[in-house]
Amino acid sequence: MGSEGAAAGTHTEGGGSVKTAQPSAFAVFSSLEGTVECIKLLRESGYTSLEVFSPVPDHALRDAMPEKESPVKAFTLSGAILGFCIGWGITLGPLGNFSLHVGGKPLESIPPFAVVAYICTILFGAIATVMGFALSVRLPSTRLVVGYDPRITCDHYGIHVPCEPDEVGRVMTLMKMCGADTIREIAKG
Amino acid sequence: MNGRLTYATTDVDLLVTLRKPGRGYFLLVGFLIVLVGVGALAWMNQIRTGIGLAGKNSPVGWAMYITTFVYWVGIAHSGTLISAILFLVRVRWRAAVYRSAEAVTVFAVMTAGLFPFIHLGRVWVAHWILPIPNFGGLWPNFRSPLAWDVLAISTYFTVSGMFFMLGMLPDLAIARERFKGWRKKVYTLLSLGWQGSSGQWRHFTAAYLFLAALATPLVISVHSIVSWDFAMSIVPGWHSTIFAPYFVAGAIHSGLAMVVLLLIPLRRSFGLESYITMHHLESLAKFIIFTAMIVGSAYGIELFMAWYGGNRFEQSLFLYRAVGDYWWAFWLLMTTNILAPMLFWVKKIRTNIPALVTICIFVEVGMWLERFIIIVTSLAHDYLPSAWGLYRPTLTDSAIVVGSFAWFFLLFLLFIKLLPSVSMWEVKEQLPAPTQKEAAA
Repeated sequence: MGSEGAAAGTHTEGGGSVKTAQPSAFAVFSSLEGTVECIKLLRESGYTSLEVFSPVPDHALRDAMPEKESPVKAFTLSGAILGFCIGWGITLGPLGNFSLHVGGKPLESIPPFAVVAYICTILFGAIATVMGFALSVRLPSTRLVVGYDPRITCDHYGIHVPCEPDEVGRVMTLMKMCGADTIREIAKG
Repeated sequence: MNGRLTYATTDVDLLVTLRKPGRGYFLLVGFLIVLVGVGALAWMNQIRTGIGLAGKNSPVGWAMYITTFVYWVGIAHSGTLISAILFLVRVRWRAAVYRSAEAVTVFAVMTAGLFPFIHLGRVWVAHWILPIPNFGGLWPNFRSPLAWDVLAISTYFTVSGMFFMLGMLPDLAIARERFKGWRKKVYTLLSLGWQGSSGQWRHFTAAYLFLAALATPLVISVHSIVSWDFAMSIVPGWHSTIFAPYFVAGAIHSGLAMVVLLLIPLRRSFGLESYITMHHLESLAKFIIFTAMIVGSAYGIELFMAWYGGNRFEQSLFLYRAVGDYWWAFWLLMTTNILAPMLFWVKKIRTNIPALVTICIFVEVGMWLERFIIIVTSLAHDYLPSAWGLYRPTLTDSAIVVGSFAWFFLLFLLFIKLLPSVSMWEVKEQLPAPTQKEAAA
């Protein structure tokens, strides 16, 4: 365990320095229970705008830090509705211009056009889902959060707490109490 | 999975696949490139000389190319079944095998997608099938299953590709932190800045769930639509309401066998026996018994309906399949598709690697022959005896088909050396989270 002092707004992996609007503290934990304990302690102490990093999604973390539901489903639904309309649009729309009877079937053949609408519903729903995800998490991003620790992708957990300059010391003490492996102070600027 | 595994050992063990390959790998890649080159040359020669170089003729206008197209679309199905459907129903064993199965899906669709172009002959006018407004005074005939097929296959490729890449994001971030040099640059680019924050995981799990839910109906619909290419016609042996479920079951049957065939050398070559265990292979073998029984019932129902329906053209066709010019292929497919997988009922056989490989190769041969028999015999022996004919493969279409297999395996070989072939983050999800006691130790 140990504090590494101030890392003034630069990040080694993302390429380029990052300006931080607010000073913050970043702690790295080697266990899940320590991370959960620290989240609870920080939230009880009034630090609610914290960000947690983990190698896998975990129910214990989600329970410790309840968040709003993801808006991705709204994108999925919108994309699917758009796709449904496009599917019917490309089949029924041009009938006036291409009124050619084929195979003895009526021009407005609903069953085959429903197949096209179904495929377009799925296609546009899926594209909108991925777009919704990318927009929600602001990906792609060329920079990682200031103070990010590469061990997080493997088996460590991270907590990032933006706070007022005079509260950084207190936050770091709380993190230390919960058994943080590494604590970094991220200076403003 | 082995109880000794931890988050840290998972990364080390599973990233071993991305290490610098040995001489054997390069030799295999070189051999496959030669086969792909031969296939490409054969196709170029066909484009220059004419489609007559392929063995298809009148009446057998659909032959090896469409057979192989349907075969590859079928192979693609197991990937989505394992990755999406088993995800939705929370089957835990999928975690270690689904990435390879998804790769099979993406590469099989890429391979299948070549065949309509090869089959067209005049490949330079392929874009006529696309709905491009005001182009040449044409609009696709959306009442035709062939137009649905173009949409279905391209949608399947797009959705599977997105699902494949989205699920890989956390693993690409792991690779980004473990490698140096050009690989680090590539993984940094591909991981899109993933860092595993709570917000990212929240949106990621939602997007993953919705993509799985959207991909699931595609497993059923894509091969149903492919089957309607045949079933919507009035050709004996094709005009059948059972075709959609029959094709879907067959697709999953061949796809599962292909996944087993690729996983066995993968676990052996990289020492992944702790992750891709005998339990995984056994579960896949049990699935193959299930699909073999569905396919077997479909064969039985087809034969029964031909007899009981009283349509003499149908009866004549099914008799021709069993005792006609292609009788050997018919009986071979019956043996390899249905009887051989029944050996998996015996635990000793389904947990024996050589037996698993042999039976899965049989299934692959059988499923290719099944499509061959459906397509070729129906056209060779339709309503008018005066119009009956035969199809014999030529050097050109054989070289192209062999090249397609080489293309598929080449893509898979490149995949296992360039991208994480086992999902590390999902394997970790199955393991206990790191504890303070472990950290102190």
